[in-house]
Amino acid sequence: MNSDYINIALADDDEDDRLFFTEAFEELKIKSKVLLFKDGIELMEYLNDSANTLPNLLFLDLNMPKKSGLECLKDIKATKRLSDMAIAIYSTSASEEDIENTFVKGANVYIKKPNDFEKLKKVLSEVVTTNWQYHTSGLNKDNFLLRL
Amino acid sequence: MPTPSSRYLRTAFVVGLFVILCIGGFTYKHISELSQTSKVVKDNYSLRSELELIISNLKDAEIGHRGFLLTHDSLFLNPYKESLQKITNNLSKLDTLIVPKGEQVEKLKELKGDIAQRFKNFDKSFSLANDDDTLLTQDLLFLLHEGEIRMDRIRADINEMLDLEQRLLTHNQEINEEKIGLTPLLFYGLLIVTLVILLLAYVKMTTDLKALKESNTELEIFEKLTKQSEVVSNTSTWVWYIEENVFEFSDNLYRLVGEEPQSFEPTLENFYKYVHEEDINNLGQQVNMMMREEELPFTTYRVVHKDGTIRYLKAYSKLMDDTEGDKKMFGVTIDITSEVENYRIIEQRNQELERTNKELSAFNYVASHDLQEPLRKIQTFMSRLETKEKDHISESGQLYIQRMKSASARMRMLIEDLLQYSRTNTSEKEYVKTNINMLLEHAKTELLDSIEEKQAKIICDGLPTMEVISFQIQQLFINLISNSLKYSKEGVPPIIEITHEEVRSRDVDEINKSLYKFHHKITFKDNGIGFEQIYAEKIFLLFNRLHGKSEYSGTGIGLAICKKIVENHKGIIIADGKPNVGATFTIYLPFLK
Repeated sequence: MNSDYINIALADDDEDDRLFFTEAFEELKIKSKVLLFKDGIELMEYLNDSANTLPNLLFLDLNMPKKSGLECLKDIKATKRLSDMAIAIYSTSASEEDIENTFVKGANVYIKKPNDFEKLKKVLSEVVTTNWQYHTSGLNKDNFLLRL
Repeated sequence: MPTPSSRYLRTAFVVGLFVILCIGGFTYKHISELSQTSKVVKDNYSLRSELELIISNLKDAEIGHRGFLLTHDSLFLNPYKESLQKITNNLSKLDTLIVPKGEQVEKLKELKGDIAQRFKNFDKSFSLANDDDTLLTQDLLFLLHEGEIRMDRIRADINEMLDLEQRLLTHNQEINEEKIGLTPLLFYGLLIVTLVILLLAYVKMTTDLKALKESNTELEIFEKLTKQSEVVSNTSTWVWYIEENVFEFSDNLYRLVGEEPQSFEPTLENFYKYVHEEDINNLGQQVNMMMREEELPFTTYRVVHKDGTIRYLKAYSKLMDDTEGDKKMFGVTIDITSEVENYRIIEQRNQELERTNKELSAFNYVASHDLQEPLRKIQTFMSRLETKEKDHISESGQLYIQRMKSASARMRMLIEDLLQYSRTNTSEKEYVKTNINMLLEHAKTELLDSIEEKQAKIICDGLPTMEVISFQIQQLFINLISNSLKYSKEGVPPIIEITHEEVRSRDVDEINKSLYKFHHKITFKDNGIGFEQIYAEKIFLLFNRLHGKSEYSGTGIGLAICKKIVENHKGIIIADGKPNVGATFTIYLPFLK
């Protein structure tokens, strides 16, 4: 793993959202490599191939065709090799039910997709710069949903 | 058990019978006494006449005797002999007539002796007369004298006997009169008693009969009513005399299986012909169980009418032993087809409702996710235009972008509020004991930006712990506070006072008909622009706004949500406004537990 780059992965079926995501990282000027997946199946195929480099941070959309984000989260946490990976839920909705479910299943943070590009940049930089290894200990349900 | 009335009748009968027997006994006794008395009297008279006959016969004998003495003509001897014969007869009759023991016996003996002496005297004088033809010798004269004396004595004897007999008769009569004199009185008394008993029995029987008639009429009315009510309410009754295995079906039971009343013999087999073939086994088991358990809960089964109609029947029965120990089962059978149908309709409606609810939650998801997504993208692209392409867009173009931004922001708000409103409608209502102060703090945190922006002051003197749906109450506080912040007076920092008190429901006009005894009264009072009191109710209606969109942003949903939330807690919310002074929202929430 190249320590100069931070490996970031996004699984989202929405083309526009993938565009915003990559543009935001370009503008943020964080040394990063962004991997994009169109759905859960594609993501899991990549992750389960031990030849591939694992991302440092995975952004996971919940509502995806074929395999939903929640299912992916479940599989990832059930696989020992993947279970330490930091996971940010990246979803349009922030329903109580979704927040509760993903928190219980072990996601690190819940991001509601912002409706402003500047806000998006702010949120992403906040998440990327957080050291999730240390942050995990103080994790609780109240600060699980990222508010800016 | 004999009834009091039948016991009374029995007593009357026994007493009456006894009295009649008494009367019979007394009558018999008295009649036999009477006949006895009359015999005595008859005997007495016979005796008298016999005695008198003796005298007259003696006189006849004397006449014959004298005639012979005078004439010596044997012709005179005939009456004499006849008289002698008669007297002998008379005497033997007297023997039978006199009372066997008593004075009369002695007297009769004396009489007999005297008569015998007299006849001896006659005989002597006859022999003297035969011996000597001379008339009236010394001896004969003497004999005649002696005969005269004898005759006197006989007369005296007879008189004595007559006297004695007279005395006996009088004595007898006195005794009889004493006895018989009481008889009519006794008879009369007994008769009166019998009559009274008869009368009482008659009165009693008439009243009993009347009562019987009345209860009969009542019974008849009751029977008619029962029949009528059975028809109206689709119920029927039946009796099963278990020992004889005989059934009695009420008319309506026949109708319940689609037949004319009493159109077939009421037996279990005949009835089973109408039972739905799938239910026969179960019903048979239930019937057997009924006989063992004596009482069973309702049994439901189907019957099939001749025309194929299927009806649902419900039966209930109870086993009873009557006083004679005969086992009887009383049953009620009800037609519950309409109930079953209604239940089906309700079930169907429930399913429909469930489906609608599912559709609604699906719609919620669509609204929250699918509808917001394109909107979010529009907004994000606009923000890209605004920053990245700013230099390439003309001034008017930038103005258009601003307008588009505010329009899409408004659309977002509308979607979010509508979503909030429909979430408030959800049927899941879990009331949890919650510290309301905490909910207020959360609401304040939520609104922190605008509170700071407006430099608003929120004063609260402490709220209680209540049974609430916490996220809803929090939403209520958010909506009310943001409402006050939104409609604050320009340049005047908003002051929101929140107060709480517990009130007795009957002391407050608005809630005095509530089912709950006590209410929490929570008041939100602000110093904002207020409103005309005539709009006090209108402001809670969905999409109702008092101001133009350009003056105050708002969707017209916020207060509608407040009302819904308060209603979910079985409370009421009241608004009071005064233009340019402020608005007061009063919430009454009942003590739920």
